Amino acid sequence: MQRDVGSLPLAPALRARLVAAGFQTAQELLDTGPCGLSKEIGISKEEALEALQVVRQECHSDATQTAGAPGTSRKCTALELLEQEQAQGFIITFCSALDNILGGGVQLTKITEICGEPGVGKTQLCMQLAVDVQIPECFGGLAGEAVFIDTEGSFMVDRVVDVATACVQHCQLIAEAHQEEDHLKALETFSLESILSHIYYFRCRDYIELLAQVYLLPDFLSEHSKVRLVVIDGIAFPFRHDFEDLSLRTRLLNGLAQQLIIIANDHKAAVVLTNQMTTRIGQSQSTLVPALAAAVPAKEAAIPAGGHCPNLHAG
Amino acid sequence: MQNDVESFESKLLYQEMDWDQFDLNPKVIAALKKADIKSVKEILNLSEADLQRLMKLSSADIQYLLKTISRTLRKNSMLTALQLYQDKHHLTSQHQKLSLGCSVLDNLLKGGIPLVGITELAGESSAGKTQISLQLCLCVQYPYKYGGLESGAVYICTEDVFPSKRLQQLIDQQHKLRADVPTEIIQKIKFGNSIFIEHAADLDTFHNCITKRISLLLTRGMARLVVVDSIAALFRCEFGVSDSVTKARYLQTFGAQLHSLSTRFRTPIMCINQVTDAVSESEAAQCNCSAVDSRVSPALGITWANQLLMRLMVSRVSQPEQSSGVALHHTGSVRTLRVVFAPHLPSSFCYYTVKLEGVKGINPLHDMASCFKNL
Repeated sequence: MQRDVGSLPLAPALRARLVAAGFQTAQELLDTGPCGLSKEIGISKEEALEALQVVRQECHSDATQTAGAPGTSRKCTALELLEQEQAQGFIITFCSALDNILGGGVQLTKITEICGEPGVGKTQLCMQLAVDVQIPECFGGLAGEAVFIDTEGSFMVDRVVDVATACVQHCQLIAEAHQEEDHLKALETFSLESILSHIYYFRCRDYIELLAQVYLLPDFLSEHSKVRLVVIDGIAFPFRHDFEDLSLRTRLLNGLAQQLIIIANDHKAAVVLTNQMTTRIGQSQSTLVPALAAAVPAKEAAIPAGGHCPNLHAG
Repeated sequence: MQNDVESFESKLLYQEMDWDQFDLNPKVIAALKKADIKSVKEILNLSEADLQRLMKLSSADIQYLLKTISRTLRKNSMLTALQLYQDKHHLTSQHQKLSLGCSVLDNLLKGGIPLVGITELAGESSAGKTQISLQLCLCVQYPYKYGGLESGAVYICTEDVFPSKRLQQLIDQQHKLRADVPTEIIQKIKFGNSIFIEHAADLDTFHNCITKRISLLLTRGMARLVVVDSIAALFRCEFGVSDSVTKARYLQTFGAQLHSLSTRFRTPIMCINQVTDAVSESEAAQCNCSAVDSRVSPALGITWANQLLMRLMVSRVSQPEQSSGVALHHTGSVRTLRVVFAPHLPSSFCYYTVKLEGVKGINPLHDMASCFKNL
């Protein structure tokens, strides 16, 4: 009821007029009523009625929604936020060096950007994560599912089969060594077919298809609530040609980043993006830097030239 | 499952739309028309705030509009990895590849050249790049059952004249190279008729070639392989050091256009590239070459490499290698074919020779035995 007028989901022009006319809270609008409103700011009675309906709906949903629901504004202390963040899960990569650098693995509710030169292993790492996110909880995994958005066409399913088979074998070895009931039970459903069936693959051939796909992600993740990983391989590819207007590109990427942050948070998922490297020509030398730098706020993992990620799981 | 094959419906969504067809509130449709918004692309290019301002609608309406548009554009776009794996149909399966016409070479590549994406073949001159490309132009014409795509090839020459004599030799000897295929089938294929030769010595001609001429051949299904021999030659003379930004833009544009053709028509693009001396260790490390090839790296740098699905390198073996006595039995003409990077292959290599009938991989165990037989 005390909701600020500026935060209501009305058409911007209408909002601006209400604020200019001196209305501050939602309650004031409701008290004024449609006739008063239409007179005060010079809109038709139908428009005023519609606007008040929206306001009423907003206030109603504010009152009935619980604190944890996505999309509402809620208050909490910084300490609570810190505790929540530290309790988040990780997706392990089975490469201890990488897991250590990342502070335990690829973190849920965060965006991780992987950049590196062609051929260094970015897609491999993404495939590995799409398998590792599915590891059953009794083996230390998240028992989740994965969304894989492919813009380059480099998702070769045969390779995923190699990685998944090795992962199942690894878990089987652990189960044999420990001989615990829940391990054996988990292995009944953790198989090559089940792993493959829980990687949801989307092929986006240009940036328009990518934008559209990301608009649909929140609904998809609501329907598939076990998804804990969203991979976009690669984020740079569709944006690096065909863009005369660089400011449009920056704006689109920023919008994309914002949507992904919300998705990561609301659905407790890890978002992983791969980026290309480009040469920045300096005064005396040229250096390799991530392409599209600074467009996406993320934790970065750069894989150096010539360096290979130590065995990411035989296969 | 038509996930990879471009549906022409989605291309239409970038053109002028009849908004009345969409499942939208009439108020929204009216707002779209009033704001003179004509295509899906225009809508998605605008931010939500801009859309609210332009169309004078609430954020809930805009959200619904964006989702409806996106849903229409991306209908049936999801597959699970399991469906990809189980799809064995030759028109859509990832398992389908373009054979090189030799089982040893095919085994190195786990089947052959992937159908979607740009494959690069780099190496020094006379290492065998053109030989392999010519062989592919013949392989593509075989039936699916024998690793082909039942279609022709487009060969774009950017510097040298097309080697027609050598092609004719290869055609005449196909029965010898392809002992796995019944002779009646080989005789029925009119190899020469299905190889379309284009010449493009400069950037504009090349641009025209890929946007107009090749597009046409691919649309008509007359070709399902594009060879560019070579991509490096196009950039050799025209760009100095200060033009690197322009050069990068050309490379990105060509890469994107070739990539788009490849995706639309499920057609492999084979680009031949030259090599330059690796100036520093980091450059050599960049192309992941082992000690044998560390002196050279493929031309055109990282901008081009970013466009590639797979990079292969060929080189001559300068002296017989100690580890494999194979080279001793094939004096003078042993080459190596190396996988530098590919999303589905480990770094690996094999040996091959260039014979009258074409390029043949050397299977070490097999050939040693037959060599001894010939002595």
